[in-house]
Amino acid sequence: MAGREAVIEVNDLVRVYKTSSGFVRKKRKETVAVDHISFSVEQGELFGLLGPNGAGKTTTIKMLTTLLLPTSGSIKVLGYDIVKDSIEVRKRIGLILGGEKGLYYRITARQNLKYFADLYGVPLSTRDKRIREVLDLVGLQDRADERVEDFSRGMKQRLHIAKGIVHDPELIFMDEPSIGLDPQAARDTRRMIKDFISAGKTIMLTTHYMYEADELCDRIGVITKGKIVALDTPEVLKRLVRDTSVIEVEVFGLTEKLIEDTRRLPGVQAVSATMAEDKQVMRVQVTDPAEMLGKVVAILQDRKVIGVKVKEPTLEDAYLWLVEGDVET
Amino acid sequence: MSRLRAVATAFRQQALIFWADPQWLIPNIIAPFVITLVALMLFKNVDGPVVLYAVLGGGMMGMWGNTLYSSGWSIQSDRWWGTLESNLVTPTPLIWIIAGRAIWNAWIGILNGVLILVFAEVVFQAPISLNDPVLFFLAFFLTLLSLSALGLLFSSAFVLTRAASVLTNGLEFPIYIGTGTMFPIALLPFWMNPLSLSLGPTWGIDAIRYSALGTTQFTFVEGYWGDLAIMILLSFVYLAVAVVLFGWLDRKVRRDASMGRF
Repeated sequence: MAGREAVIEVNDLVRVYKTSSGFVRKKRKETVAVDHISFSVEQGELFGLLGPNGAGKTTTIKMLTTLLLPTSGSIKVLGYDIVKDSIEVRKRIGLILGGEKGLYYRITARQNLKYFADLYGVPLSTRDKRIREVLDLVGLQDRADERVEDFSRGMKQRLHIAKGIVHDPELIFMDEPSIGLDPQAARDTRRMIKDFISAGKTIMLTTHYMYEADELCDRIGVITKGKIVALDTPEVLKRLVRDTSVIEVEVFGLTEKLIEDTRRLPGVQAVSATMAEDKQVMRVQVTDPAEMLGKVVAILQDRKVIGVKVKEPTLEDAYLWLVEGDVET
Repeated sequence: MSRLRAVATAFRQQALIFWADPQWLIPNIIAPFVITLVALMLFKNVDGPVVLYAVLGGGMMGMWGNTLYSSGWSIQSDRWWGTLESNLVTPTPLIWIIAGRAIWNAWIGILNGVLILVFAEVVFQAPISLNDPVLFFLAFFLTLLSLSALGLLFSSAFVLTRAASVLTNGLEFPIYIGTGTMFPIALLPFWMNPLSLSLGPTWGIDAIRYSALGTTQFTFVEGYWGDLAIMILLSFVYLAVAVVLFGWLDRKVRRDASMGRF
């Protein structure tokens, strides 16, 4: 990346939310959502921002896209200050949100795109052609004249993407673009993201899916409690936990108490679990698997253990180690 | 992005959503229609311009209802649909988007007013003959623009608050009464007159009645052109205040993170 132009420059950024409750005696509360973070993103880079819920990812994206003002610090996007030159920034960026909201459901996909193309000032002479292009790109050309309310979740996400790029922005922000998608739709989304990068775009992405970040991102910033705790390539982040191994236990009857007991074992670095009805999978990061294997299995002695494996750590393990463990339900 | 294009695209978008969602027909078309129907039934045996007064009042109510609902609900709907942020992240200032929507809704109000006139004439054989149709439609058109400007001013409050629906409902009847839609404002207590006279549509309605009835029986002494001049002046004041307010609001919602809440 060295030598390329920085398209995002964030310096000592802070965002504090002020809230109040009560009517007569108002109680005021301040929450620091983003706490003195600094980073830069270079032209053509795919930069990922990972973190648990409430870590400050979306707040950061909102400030970068001019929707929120920083409490202090500065942000330059494509050379423009997001506070003073917000209109210039908005002309040049695209925002793609994940989830069901953010589209006009009662009208068609094409009508949605026409509306946003006009608001972005896409020249009238090329507008309809550009809309056909983006519909083709996201594979919605055959459904373009149907109401969005009849679309599947995956189709809505593809329309979100089309909406975010209809004005051909240089820089694209994606806030959890594959959330709630089935594997096929998520794979299509990842393919489109790769295509954007091949076309020379710069992308900043937030996601909860580690394999997605590992597959796509040039660099990753891990944010937790408003602070960036690590920022590097996925390979370097994985090396943070190279001295550890992961004991993966498939079990029936796993409870949060058992997870907590495992977490408290001396020698355990982080624990995560996937809780499904039929079986649960607990991943335990340890430095000495030979010593720890028996202790972990002993905690689960009165549960039905289906299988135990010792694995190499993944990006997810590095992430969990950085954010001090979490339970995924 | 030209402001005119922003207004035009917001106008078209509002039209598409309006026709796609039949629920808007109830407050915007059906309710004023029913009220006019009641007025016609009450006054059908009364001689003189009272019937026309009632019919015009129904039309005006429709126009105001549309403006108010457009200003309040279009933003509130955007909050619900999660589209407010998608609009705000474009380089188009929100004021031009809201202006396009307000004009569409006032336009539907005009259509409503004309429909009521036709309905009264055809179904009830009400004695409706416009004294000066050209001046009548000119006043009608300018009142539409004035209503849109007033709606734009109100909508700045709707951006700010999550209680937009409460404000919408709360403002509906005071404006009906305050602008003289339902009865001449001369019948109102004196202390209400300054409020009524500060509302552009009050003067527009007066000009409409002046041109339709051809009498000053229910109108102000300023006459037709005086009414229009005052309405236009007030409308420009609304626009100027709205532009300042929206500029201030843009910073406030970005500072307080309040735009996406509902």
